[in-house]
Amino acid sequence: MDFGLIFSSIAPVFAPENILFILLGATGGVLIGSIPGLTSTMGIALLIPFTYGMTIIPSVGMLLGIFCGAMYGGSIAAILIKTPGTPAAAATLLDGYPMGQKGEAGRALAIALFSSFCGGMIGALLMTFLSPFISRMALKFGPAEFFTLAVFGLSVIISISGKSLVKGLISGFFGLLIATLGMDKVSGYLRFTRLIGFYEGVPFIPGLIGLFALSEVYANIENILKSEKVTAKISGVLPGWQDIKAIARSVVTGGFIGSFIGAIPGAGGDIAAFVSYSEAKRSSKHPEKFGTGIPEGVAAAEAANNGCTGGAMIPMLSLGVPGDSNTAVLMGAFILQGFQPGPMMYVEHLDIIYAVFASMMVANFAMLIVGMCGVKLFAKVISIERKLLIPAIMVLSLVGSYAINQNMFDVYFALVMGGVGYLLQKYEFPLSPILLALILGPMSESNLRRFMQIDNGQFWRIFTKPICVIFLVLAVASMIVSVRNQRKINKRVARSGGDAAE
Amino acid sequence: MKKLSIAVLGLLLVSGVVFAGGKAEGGAPAYPTKGITMICPWAAGGGTDAILRALSAAAAKQLGQTITVENRTGGGGAIGHAAIKNARPDGYTLGMVTFELNSLPQQGLIDFTYADYDPLIRVNADAATLTVKADAPYNSVKEFVEYCKQNPGVVSIGNSAPGSVWHIGAGLLANETGIDVKHVPFEGAAPAVTALAGGHIQAVSVSLAEVKSQLDAGNVKCLGIMDTKRSALYPNIPTFIDQGYNITYFTWRGLALPKGIDPAIRETLTKAFTAAMQDPEFVEQAKKMNLDLAFLPPAEFNAFLKENFDAVTKTMKAIGLVN
Repeated sequence: MDFGLIFSSIAPVFAPENILFILLGATGGVLIGSIPGLTSTMGIALLIPFTYGMTIIPSVGMLLGIFCGAMYGGSIAAILIKTPGTPAAAATLLDGYPMGQKGEAGRALAIALFSSFCGGMIGALLMTFLSPFISRMALKFGPAEFFTLAVFGLSVIISISGKSLVKGLISGFFGLLIATLGMDKVSGYLRFTRLIGFYEGVPFIPGLIGLFALSEVYANIENILKSEKVTAKISGVLPGWQDIKAIARSVVTGGFIGSFIGAIPGAGGDIAAFVSYSEAKRSSKHPEKFGTGIPEGVAAAEAANNGCTGGAMIPMLSLGVPGDSNTAVLMGAFILQGFQPGPMMYVEHLDIIYAVFASMMVANFAMLIVGMCGVKLFAKVISIERKLLIPAIMVLSLVGSYAINQNMFDVYFALVMGGVGYLLQKYEFPLSPILLALILGPMSESNLRRFMQIDNGQFWRIFTKPICVIFLVLAVASMIVSVRNQRKINKRVARSGGDAAE
Repeated sequence: MKKLSIAVLGLLLVSGVVFAGGKAEGGAPAYPTKGITMICPWAAGGGTDAILRALSAAAAKQLGQTITVENRTGGGGAIGHAAIKNARPDGYTLGMVTFELNSLPQQGLIDFTYADYDPLIRVNADAATLTVKADAPYNSVKEFVEYCKQNPGVVSIGNSAPGSVWHIGAGLLANETGIDVKHVPFEGAAPAVTALAGGHIQAVSVSLAEVKSQLDAGNVKCLGIMDTKRSALYPNIPTFIDQGYNITYFTWRGLALPKGIDPAIRETLTKAFTAAMQDPEFVEQAKKMNLDLAFLPPAEFNAFLKENFDAVTKTMKAIGLVN
């Protein structure tokens, strides 16, 4: 490595005005991320025109600030109002929201922030040192590999099912079923619908808002006037030493899982967070406590989705293949600046690559600072009187559903999904499996069919591909372990009188 | 010839702007007096969005009003295209129409065609390529065709979605050369190119801009480009015509208005956007995005739309995408 070049290329990243741009980006990102329906992709896309007149380093710094900030921001809404601010925060709410309800919103936010920062730094470091190696792996992913990855992802449904495995599976299959709506991704035929709003499948973000936010609004209407306020104890803006010790392992594993899944094009923070959550639960000494509001759950999910930010940059920079929708838009920003990401970037513009690495780390620090300033402020949301908070969530949800496509159809769809979510929750069906199925259903279906088309329908060939075999073995193993764990948990709960997992 | 036409165009533009200024003082309806909305049928951050934002910024300078780009996405482009058609014809809403306007109606996905718009200008036209892996045994379109004929039903060509521009492009190639290949749709051009670079499929039919990074890295090679002329950036890639195949095929983007706009307003818009197309900043942006600017004025754009619609329909029928 040419250290002279490294120092001369990262020096401009630390210029005061550049730091300011990154901080601005991170602040905007945290805000955008915390509002359901406004995604980091949207934030980056809308700011790109403002970078026309800027040079590459501040513009990329600002956009990376948004990217990292929004990944943390998503957890704020998940913890406080049970709605993932971004899809990637869906796994955060499994334990984040129960923590908030116990009066530990401040602690949950601090843990989410700390884990996001650590996960993000792990991702950024891996990106800096392992890019060329990891990117070669990304090319090995063809349709068959993506299919088995999706199958592995779906096996996670079991560990996020909560008390009843059967109900979790029913939710999951319901999600898979509605994921088949719309235009067939291989033949182009319309399935089960003539409605134009369903052509591209069910609108994902409005569906997510409906299922999580609006269902909560409906449920709260029942007791909106009986205001039982939750007050948030705020001990500090960073987790205490005890907490850090408890979550350390989940954070590190989560960071690596996130970076790895992020580096696979087409798999993003949402999948990573669920996989990491499931792994944390599997390896935990007390898996029965997951879902009741424990720090490890929040940490595993948040470390993974932020680890993804660095991971997703790897194939984008070194192959010109974006790792997720955020990096796809970021790639557009690079091209507009006259830099074509891809293998030649490492040959021709190594200085820019180093600057991007440095900016990514600075962006994570910026996120940490913005988050630390905000924790106390955000946590107050939970203490707002319900009759004021619920209508506000309703309005935000509707605006968020509209914003994504600027289409009223999506708003109606969100309202309907709200009803579906309300009923499902009333009868204790878990909602997360639906979300996971909506993400992974289309991915597994279209890649399976693509693979069958390329290999002339010879399914057995999947067993000749090493990556596929690894994922299939992982999927089977994860299912067996989760089912066993679930049995153990049920037994333990039965023994202790059933209060531990309530 | 081309330089001359650009020079003539430039002159026309300059005079156009001067005359436009003159006319407004001469009592024509004052336009524009407020901001203009530009509808983009594709998502923020994508290629269409990027070029449209750059063009709008250049046109705003000409019109003296802001132009706000609104992304009305969904339905594979159907929703945004419908929104442009259904907008109030007062000149304050227009939008970018793309190739899909000429491929969605045949599939029964929209119930209107190019004829329901008032076309303004064509902005760019990018040709399809035949791109294969760098170590593939064929080095020209002819060798590729021969290979496919010797191994029928073996080669997979990746495209960007079923019924999409590049699916039809690959279908045209297969149909014209009489080869039997598998068309594998991906979710966009980028995943298809990645699958090619990873060796999961044998070819892609996407545009030069979309394969550029892998081409520069030497992971893939371009056997031919379905253009009438060679690319300025890659002059050693031959066209299909050079290789004896009379195949040309493009994706395109243009601007269109809802029907029923005051001719004076349309004239103002035409002049503003024609001038914007020459704006050095816009030209620079387009170049960075590797887009082939291919300006056509309203009448020619309208004729092009009809010709393109008929050609696309014919290909779609030939490859069995529609009956």
